[in-house]
Amino acid sequence: MGVLDYVWAGIMAVIAGPAAFELFGIGIPLVGLMVLGGFILGIVGGATPGLAGPFLMAVSLPILLSTFGFSPDALLPVLGFLIGVMKGATVGGSVPAILFNTPGTPDAMLTTFDGYPMAQKGQAGKALRTAHFASVSGDTFSDLVLFTCAPFLAVMVEAYLGFGEKAALILLSLAFVAAVVGASPMKGMIAAFLGLFIATIGTGQDSYARLSLGTDVLSSGVPMITAVLGVLILGEILFAFEEMWRSRRVDKVSPTPIQRDQRLSWADRKRLMPFIGVSAAIGTVIGALPGIGSTLAATLGYSTGERMHKGPVAFGDGTPEGIAATEAANSSVSGANLIPVLSLGIPGNVGAVFLILAAESIGGFNPGPGVFRFTTEEVNPELVIAFGLFTAMMLANILNWMIGGRIMAACGVMARVPKQVLLPIVLLLTLTAIYVQETDFTVFYFAFAFGVLGYGMRKLKFPALPFVIAFILAGNLETAFRQAFAVSGGDPFFLFKSPLSLVFLAISVGVIVFFSLPRKPVNKAIEAEEGA
Amino acid sequence: MLSRRNEVWIALLCIVAALVTAMVWVPLDSETPPIYTFRRQINIGDAMLPLVSATGIAICAVIHLLLTLRREPATERSAPLDIHTGSFFLPFAAIMLVSCMLMYWAGPIALALFGPTGEEAVTYRQMRAAFPWKYIGYGLGGFTMVFGVTSLIEGRISASRALTSMLAVLALILVFDVPFDTILLPPNGDY
Repeated sequence: MGVLDYVWAGIMAVIAGPAAFELFGIGIPLVGLMVLGGFILGIVGGATPGLAGPFLMAVSLPILLSTFGFSPDALLPVLGFLIGVMKGATVGGSVPAILFNTPGTPDAMLTTFDGYPMAQKGQAGKALRTAHFASVSGDTFSDLVLFTCAPFLAVMVEAYLGFGEKAALILLSLAFVAAVVGASPMKGMIAAFLGLFIATIGTGQDSYARLSLGTDVLSSGVPMITAVLGVLILGEILFAFEEMWRSRRVDKVSPTPIQRDQRLSWADRKRLMPFIGVSAAIGTVIGALPGIGSTLAATLGYSTGERMHKGPVAFGDGTPEGIAATEAANSSVSGANLIPVLSLGIPGNVGAVFLILAAESIGGFNPGPGVFRFTTEEVNPELVIAFGLFTAMMLANILNWMIGGRIMAACGVMARVPKQVLLPIVLLLTLTAIYVQETDFTVFYFAFAFGVLGYGMRKLKFPALPFVIAFILAGNLETAFRQAFAVSGGDPFFLFKSPLSLVFLAISVGVIVFFSLPRKPVNKAIEAEEGA
Repeated sequence: MLSRRNEVWIALLCIVAALVTAMVWVPLDSETPPIYTFRRQINIGDAMLPLVSATGIAICAVIHLLLTLRREPATERSAPLDIHTGSFFLPFAAIMLVSCMLMYWAGPIALALFGPTGEEAVTYRQMRAAFPWKYIGYGLGGFTMVFGVTSLIEGRISASRALTSMLAVLALILVFDVPFDTILLPPNGDY
């Protein structure tokens, strides 16, 4: 098969794959329907303060796995749904930010700066249209960069990196994530090492399950989805419970007057394009780096837009350019942060973690450089899945262009759901989602244990993302270590033999040292991302 | 960042825990050491990655301790955990415990009290997929959890929140159980 044959096979896997049902004799593709379902759920969830894309992906995953099973046929419907959620939540987050000055997702915080003043001036509709236009433009741009860059990067990694270099590359990624997420790189590194350590419990190559303390409950290892959901979701829920209990107040929402003309004209769109273009480029570059999330991209996009802006209404006073600069930047992160996932197998953010978990749970698709093997004599099914995934992403973008704005406008009501009512329901939902996966009550013990760990990490200002990414990558890292060591003939300096792995290790140390320097300013945007 | 005093305590705790793990737990609870020779081939053993991880934690904690001791006193003064933390989490833990116990036992107890009687005893395992038994534990435990936590956070009990909690549990049953034959709600998979 040639390159174009693979692309075509991926497209056909989505549009001519299994049909969900028939309408007037025409089969409605299941993957397309899943993307649509995920997209709508994502917008609704994104528009609900307290929920976010990762929350929804986390609770959807066990249901999806139970529904579609663990065969390779399940890959595209499950991943398509999760992609839909990710994209929907990105645009949905701006709804409560604009209407009620409450960001639905952390990266929409800067949207409140101009969105809410516009809503107060009666221009809520125009603000929502601006957010949607900027968001979907940035997202589409970012996806196009992903489609072109990820295969090339993967081919280069596969061609030039051996076992030792791959191990060094994983270390570099972990060091980078640990250094940039949170205010203290050393705490990030401790979190990453803790993730590696916990992942080793009950695993290994020997007949005895290491670190299991001789118990049955630990000898089969720590359930991955439960651990990730515990640290990321339950930890956040416990933290939010305590915060709400301390404050014990409900945000009151007051109605706003509405102006008649809410359209976003072509002239308006033309005026916004430079801001969208610059922010989309910033968001794409930021998104391609593991660990740096959409909140930082939004901050940089906003500040760059502010410098570019020469209009009558200043940034922060309710100008559409401010919304466009923020939304284009934070939305363009979502596509680009799949570049390290698909080309290196390294999740760069929480959303990508759930994509990797889905792929690992189902099997038959191992995100990493091996995916992009353009074999001509025999079909590489993983490559077909990858291009199917790209097709699903483009499908989500098309849906976003066509109906995203209307769904956003309808979701304003979600911001009125009180958090103190919503989060206990999310707690039960998360526990149920964990249980249906394992069907064993002891999984609650793991869930609570990791929930407490996640809560403790938030209270003590340890970033959770390095822990989760290290936990997921531990198996790959250990395998790479063992293989590199065996290939080197038992050389203890196997990691330092190749110039490329030396470069990776030097950069790892450099990144940690650079971000540990006392002159590093504390970035509120990064802290907000870590809190997400 | 927390206050310097808190950061120092965190670093010290991490150092002690990591050293105990690296020197006691890992060597005693792994079958093969970090490096071992088998049939004249040198291999990485199962103890390697946990040992590297624990050592990494210790080294990073030492560096964090040194950096913390050098830095200016932080602006954030409040302790991360205080009396209010306990005031919230004690009743919260009680609610979760009662909810989980209700979830686990309510179904079997209800079956024993009100289940069909006859010559052959009916076990909960036989009835775990049958209406209404399969919903009793989840319904009661789930309601207690949602309503209890909401009431704890709000500091009051209200009928509207009780209704919301019931509707939420009903909605979750509709999402998880009704459309899928293969999914078992908690705790039915345990029986």
